[in-house]
Amino acid sequence: MANKHVLLNNVDHHNIKIITERSARYGDDVSFVMTFPLEFRRIQSCYPIFFRKDANTGNFSPIALFGFEPRENLYLSDDGWDAQYVPLMIQRQPFLIGLQRVEGEGDATKPVVSIDINSPRVNESEGEALFLEHGGTSDYLAAMTELLETIRLADEMNTDFVDALLKLDLIEAVTMQVELKDGSKHEMLGYYTINEEKLDALDSETLGELHGHHYLDSIYMILASLSCFRTLVQKKNDQLSAQ
Amino acid sequence: MSKPVNTVVVVGGGTAGWLTAGLLAAEHQPLQKSGPRIVLVESPDVASIGVGEGTWPTMRTSLQTMGISETDFIRRCDASFKQGTRFAGWLDGRDESYYHPFALPQRFHEIDLARHWQPLREKISYANAVTPQTMACDHALAPKQITTPEFASNLNYGYHLDAGKFAKFLEEHCVGKLGVTHILDNVVAVNAADNGDIKSLSTRSSGTIDGDLFIDCTGFAALLIGGHYGIPFCSKQDYLFNDRALAVQVPRSSPHETIASTTLSTAQRAGWIWDIALPARRGIGYVFSSAHTDDDEAEADLRRYIASTAGDAASESCSPRKITFNPGHREKLWHRNCVAVGLSGGFVEPLEASALVMIELSAKMLSEQLPANRSVMDIVAKRFNDKFLYDWHRIIEFLKLHYVLSRRDDTDYWRDNRDAKTIPSDLQESLELWRFQSPRYQDLSHVDELFPAASYRYVLYGMNFETEGPDERRRSDIATRATAEGLFSDNIRRTTQLLKALPTNRELIGKIHEFGFQKI
Repeated sequence: MANKHVLLNNVDHHNIKIITERSARYGDDVSFVMTFPLEFRRIQSCYPIFFRKDANTGNFSPIALFGFEPRENLYLSDDGWDAQYVPLMIQRQPFLIGLQRVEGEGDATKPVVSIDINSPRVNESEGEALFLEHGGTSDYLAAMTELLETIRLADEMNTDFVDALLKLDLIEAVTMQVELKDGSKHEMLGYYTINEEKLDALDSETLGELHGHHYLDSIYMILASLSCFRTLVQKKNDQLSAQ
Repeated sequence: MSKPVNTVVVVGGGTAGWLTAGLLAAEHQPLQKSGPRIVLVESPDVASIGVGEGTWPTMRTSLQTMGISETDFIRRCDASFKQGTRFAGWLDGRDESYYHPFALPQRFHEIDLARHWQPLREKISYANAVTPQTMACDHALAPKQITTPEFASNLNYGYHLDAGKFAKFLEEHCVGKLGVTHILDNVVAVNAADNGDIKSLSTRSSGTIDGDLFIDCTGFAALLIGGHYGIPFCSKQDYLFNDRALAVQVPRSSPHETIASTTLSTAQRAGWIWDIALPARRGIGYVFSSAHTDDDEAEADLRRYIASTAGDAASESCSPRKITFNPGHREKLWHRNCVAVGLSGGFVEPLEASALVMIELSAKMLSEQLPANRSVMDIVAKRFNDKFLYDWHRIIEFLKLHYVLSRRDDTDYWRDNRDAKTIPSDLQESLELWRFQSPRYQDLSHVDELFPAASYRYVLYGMNFETEGPDERRRSDIATRATAEGLFSDNIRRTTQLLKALPTNRELIGKIHEFGFQKI
């Protein structure tokens, strides 16, 4: 069913529960999600980080990669999500944070939480309740709201991070050729990474500036994450052998 | 020792002047220590003619060379994407039309697809069989997506642009980024040196401007090449009759109106009407032969066209601007230390948008071969003249091709155009040959032909010209048949994919204004 995001409220959504299990059934069958420097440390130990362009805007975002084909998530198994850390953009489902204009205050906006009421996670019998029986929000919803607020701030920081990299020509296209155990070859297009040559050539003043914004950490975390690409190929090969 | 070329003076601040100054400055870097001076003198009183609004794909390279961002250019110049020209009513004067797209046929240099297309001619048009571009143009699609890097393409493209805004945009870039010196003043005298070169220009209030090389971008006025040197003009009106144009700008009635992907050229009783799609307006004009119609009749035809495509109100409210010209070019373009670039060098009807590309090519050669000193200048001048006189010759021949294939019999204009006396003899010979073999690169003598054999094929087969098909007795025809069939089905597959993936021009322009292209 198509997504349908509505503003969350304690009247219409009082009895809703959210299934938090990880499964393709609940929409976790995605091959990548957007990620943010503030979770890079945890991401890079499990997933390769690349940049991709948003199809609608052409803007770059860092992403964590889960598979080689659309809807292939090699971290999903029958037992759930097989990794130490689940990315924020997966954890947030089925919620979304947006900005709403505050009436009568010109351009002022405030963050608001929406829910995809068509998500298969949304039901009234199993999972985590959002609201308490006699009023008030559940600890689960409180935690989700906090997570969404983190995402909102992290997203703003992403834009600055990417702009800084683009300004220094530090992003370059990368074409990955993957040969699998069964002999099949896959060419992955539309992925971008850090241009190490340009990075190495930066003068100390520029490096200092990058460091000052904590961008240097993030850059090296992206480079370090690339070793997980091998993990991903391994997972794919394991899957092929199991078939 | 011979005098080094240290100062280049460009006279004229239209598109020709700024493009030339910009391309020269990008290569020779006046901002570097000991770099040459590049000066552009522009009269504050002379308005630019400003009708050069269709480019070739070459403009992408020119903009890139000058270090211009495509996003800035599109936003500032009200630009859109042009993927070729659609010719309507040229064959029979009815609703029929054909395309001359910018994309080359698939694997053009390896296989003669035109030959294998001949047996299919009743089923599919030549252009639709060999490139996905024409179907994309049918749907007013863009040649790329927002995720495509700037200047890169899914389908080859140039631009439609607002000439006035473009000249202003180039001026800012040339002065602000490339170090071109801009003098806003009227030239009152051209001063000769003892050897006959131009020594300097006297201006009304900025004193004397000395220079080693002078570039005449003064438009039809041709202040230096014509006014000072009196280099004769070669009229080509015997071949190309059109000598007048009526031009208007028609605003968009809604911000959602479709932006066509090609220049539309609609044949009329005594000429043709151009229709150039910009995001905010259309540029429309009737270019015609004064020997075959008069201004009043032409204006009535133009208003009728506008009424039928933009409504009666638009037709009644516009006031056409009249441009008179003599089709042809100067006997030579580089004389002594003076080079004519743009209208001062020559002009013919804009049927294949040759004006801007000729400026770009002239500026490119000038910047690549800028003579180091006066003693080698004459050698470069000779080569420059050889190249561009040849190009003029080819332009005239290629434009004429559009007319001689017409079957229109409704006016003397079309009948006269088919009169053998008005057809260059080279073209007559080629047409004879092309009945048996498709135009190929051997027919054309230069490696850097302005119009490649592919262009000739698009026009010939768009106009229903018949060439013999594959011959069972020829080895190459049999050997390439399977490949050709593969390429034809490949083209259908690619067309289907692109029609799904590409946004409309309007959608993409909107996104460029909102998000911009990435550089990579």
